[in-house]
Amino acid sequence: MIEVCNAGKTYRQGTREVRALRNVSLDIGRGEFLSIMGPSGSGKSTLLNLIGGLDQPTTGEIFIDGRPLHGIPDDELTLIRRRSIGFVFQFFNLLPILTAVENVSLPLLLEGIPLAKIRPQAFQLLERVGLGERAGHRPEQLSGGEMQRVAIARALINDPAVLLADEPTGNLDSHTSEEIFTLLASLNEKGQTIVMVTHDRRAAAYGTRIVTLKDGALSEDISLGVDAT
Amino acid sequence: MNLANLLRHISARHIKYQKAQTFLALAGICLGVAAIVSIGIVNKSVLRSFEDSISVATGRAALQITGSQSGFPETIVEKVQDVPGVEYAVPVIETDGLLSRGKERSIMVLGVDVLIDSQMRSYSLSNESADIPDPLLFLARPDSILITKAMAEREGIALEQRIQVETVLGTRTFRVRGILNPEGPAKAMGGNLAVMDIYAAQMAFGKEGRVDRVDVSLMRGEELETVRQRILSVLPMGYTVETPVGRTRQIEAMLSKFQTGLNLISIFAIVVGMYLIYNAVSISIVHRRKEIGILRALGAKRKEIMRLFMGETLVISIIASVLGVGLGILFAHSIVGTLGRIISQWYARTTVTGISVPWFYPATGIACGIAASLVAAAFPVHAGSLISPISAIRSLPWSDEGFFTGRRLKIAAAFFLLLSATVFCIYKFAGFLPLFRNKTFLFSSQIFLLLGISLLTPAFLKGFLSLFHRLPTTRLGSMGMLAGLNLRKNITRNAVAVAAIFFGISVFVNSAGFVYSLKESVMTWLDAVIRADIIISDGHPSSSTNAQTIPMPVDMWREIEKVPGVLSADPWRKVYMDYKGRRVLLSVVDLIRRGEYSHFMVVRGSDREIRRLLPRQDNVVVSEPFAAQFGVRAGDVITLPTPSGVVRFGVVAVVVDYLYDGGTVSMDLNTYQRHWGDMLADQFSVRVRAGENIAAVRESIQERLGTDRKLYVLPAQEFKDEIRKVIDQTFMFNYALSAITMIIACFGIIITLLASVLERTREIGVLRSIGMLRKQVSGVVLIESVLMGMAGGILGSCAGIMTGWITLEGASYSSLVQYCVPYGSIVWAMVMSVGLSALAGLYPASRAAKTNIVEALTYE
Repeated sequence: MIEVCNAGKTYRQGTREVRALRNVSLDIGRGEFLSIMGPSGSGKSTLLNLIGGLDQPTTGEIFIDGRPLHGIPDDELTLIRRRSIGFVFQFFNLLPILTAVENVSLPLLLEGIPLAKIRPQAFQLLERVGLGERAGHRPEQLSGGEMQRVAIARALINDPAVLLADEPTGNLDSHTSEEIFTLLASLNEKGQTIVMVTHDRRAAAYGTRIVTLKDGALSEDISLGVDAT
Repeated sequence: MNLANLLRHISARHIKYQKAQTFLALAGICLGVAAIVSIGIVNKSVLRSFEDSISVATGRAALQITGSQSGFPETIVEKVQDVPGVEYAVPVIETDGLLSRGKERSIMVLGVDVLIDSQMRSYSLSNESADIPDPLLFLARPDSILITKAMAEREGIALEQRIQVETVLGTRTFRVRGILNPEGPAKAMGGNLAVMDIYAAQMAFGKEGRVDRVDVSLMRGEELETVRQRILSVLPMGYTVETPVGRTRQIEAMLSKFQTGLNLISIFAIVVGMYLIYNAVSISIVHRRKEIGILRALGAKRKEIMRLFMGETLVISIIASVLGVGLGILFAHSIVGTLGRIISQWYARTTVTGISVPWFYPATGIACGIAASLVAAAFPVHAGSLISPISAIRSLPWSDEGFFTGRRLKIAAAFFLLLSATVFCIYKFAGFLPLFRNKTFLFSSQIFLLLGISLLTPAFLKGFLSLFHRLPTTRLGSMGMLAGLNLRKNITRNAVAVAAIFFGISVFVNSAGFVYSLKESVMTWLDAVIRADIIISDGHPSSSTNAQTIPMPVDMWREIEKVPGVLSADPWRKVYMDYKGRRVLLSVVDLIRRGEYSHFMVVRGSDREIRRLLPRQDNVVVSEPFAAQFGVRAGDVITLPTPSGVVRFGVVAVVVDYLYDGGTVSMDLNTYQRHWGDMLADQFSVRVRAGENIAAVRESIQERLGTDRKLYVLPAQEFKDEIRKVIDQTFMFNYALSAITMIIACFGIIITLLASVLERTREIGVLRSIGMLRKQVSGVVLIESVLMGMAGGILGSCAGIMTGWITLEGASYSSLVQYCVPYGSIVWAMVMSVGLSALAGLYPASRAAKTNIVEALTYE
């Protein structure tokens, strides 16, 4: 479903060139829960950004359901993100001016669908993540775990092909983290493809497969289950 | 901590990284200062040109005697010469002429007594004719004329050449007998001056036996005031004996209303600049909150933090003000000619050859720029100094409302609105006490009103956004919703940007409403009084009011009536005179002939009484401003100075008359000629026989009478249209100043939106990551700017209507002037505020659209 072929990414840092990713090749199947691990600076987030179409590889190619994510116009790439990819960030990244239900609705609002039409679906998703009663609250009125659950609900509103999570519990306590991982695992059980970046071995174990990056290159690829199709 | 160190190492770095914001704040203040400086300089330059012309044309005269504009008997000269202490009493004709050669050029004609004028003024001829001892001897022949070197060079006129000059008798040919060096009187009016023998000038300009002025020099050791009193005692009432400086002051007083208006409007530009600085400093403090926290943690005192930000403001305001002075001088150069033309058209003829830059105006501009910036910055700086180190470093929530909390704003707004109403009531009902009854006092009422309303801007913006949230968001979808919510997030800051637009728009709508109402009233009045089909005048229709022109012989009506198709022609004469130390207009009509088809717009009295009591009798009607100024009512008797002495006139009625806002007295032609001995006319109203083609009759008049003189023969409608245009032109500077104010306001929008985009970097990153297109991101920012423009436009239009009404109340032209809402201009104001705001939003929108997603997601 997701194909990463010899992807490389080089950044300029002042006059210095930093090779964040070196010739990484990876195939991710539908229904997989892939955990990407590695020490700080190993290129985990860079790989996730490339898979999510947030950034473009310097070398190599990336495909999602056979469609290239490289070398296409920005608008096209944006629409792929909007319709096929769901994002969950470490710092939740909810819009403080919107309520929980409005935050969840945002990707569909961008499609031009009136809020009234989206609201029931958004509400359903909030109930699914256990926040049905907090729908009208603003981010500042929610706890960290609640905010992350809203972010997960937002990532799911478009029924994305893949859900990408970058250190989703990096800002949460251990108890709340457990809840979030359980939620992600249950979503995966229902067939949702998930790619998660983490540096926590226990968290990675919620996945069905773990790949490890070291100095921008793939160093290990371990399969933990057989959910992938 | 050392302020210089902080400024050098911290502030300089911020300026480097926030070039756009710094530039905009600087440009705003720079433009505000430029507006103040340019208007100040231009006003002063116009006055200086009058002053120079008077002083160089005056020569050694210590006193000048003037009477009615139509002149006074030359026998007065002998009387004055006989006054003890008077050395020379020299008669002068000072009138307008038109050089018909090449491009028509209006010139001042000085008619002097060739035998004694050199005792008063020195003339020097250019080299080719310098061997004659007294240049005035050239003028012994009646067709001789001297012109200035500047005019000769400009028009390509050589010595002994014949030139044609438009006179009262028509176009006459004169021989150039000498070319004057640019010394003495030859420097007056930018060199647009010709000198003739007084006798020839009297003949040519219809002033036989009369003079316009007597210049007086004193014997050595005589005291000026004593001689002045002696002269006054031998003159009939109505004569003015003034020093040349005093004459300049008279002109200054005449122009003061017009010039004060411009000065006051230019102040708006700096007020809007204050809003800009307030926002720029507030934003800077919000962005540098963490830095303030760190500095405080490292031991910087509150006072030092305040000094740092005030120091930055001071440096920027000094640079901006100095640049503003330079820009103001440039502006002044480009507009001085136009302003000179407008003043020549409406007040008195002048030629402004250059600008004079006295230190006062640049100094005032710099002081205003710096003071306005520091005052505007003081509030946010004070709020910033209260930031606690812990909250800043930990990024705890902090309100940037600072001093201006919602409650305080409402109390301050109520205070200013009340103050405005009180000031207006005092103005309206405090009679005619000079302390209260002046334009500056009324202007303060308008400023308080605008301040009050601007303090209500946050509340208004909140309401406006809720309304917007309910109404069109469904159409604009996610972009509209986000834009509305973003604006609500920083309501105080956005309200300041809206308030700046509101100020700009209110100045525009104020001027537009005032001009529109006045124009409507003037046009209604013109429709009532101008019932003729064709108007023949000696100058452009605008000369119906103040500017001097070359009048026509009153008997010309006989010639006009001989033109086929003409039913009747009757003359009108306008003359200015002094009444109780003030300049008033004497408007003269042939009431017997004109009364058949035209009438006055009567306020007190009746038209029947006017028809019965005015023709051939010593009765007059007065305009409302005259009645109000001098406390005159219908039935009173007023004493008017005439060239032959003081005459008592009965006031039959008070009428509407917009000819001169200083006051008009109207009388019958026969009465005027009897007392003034003046046989000239400025205009003829012509009625065309029924069934005749007006255009054809106009052509015939032009053919028959227009060959020998410059005539404006216009169908009545065209004449009125020209007046309408001239009224618009007169207020063009008001519109130009509104435009400058709006540009400054737009800088405010750019600064606000740029700050908002910067603060929302991470948000924009998130939106882009979940699929928001670049054009949608820029769309949100553009909608925000348009919403701010709309809110400012609506509020500004409402405030403009109120201030326009107050301006009109203060103008006191007539009780019949009704305020008319300028709907057309309000539509323009909305288009302008929304359009300019959208334009201002383009740059921040494009910056937002270019946000790099990955960097934005890690932005703190």
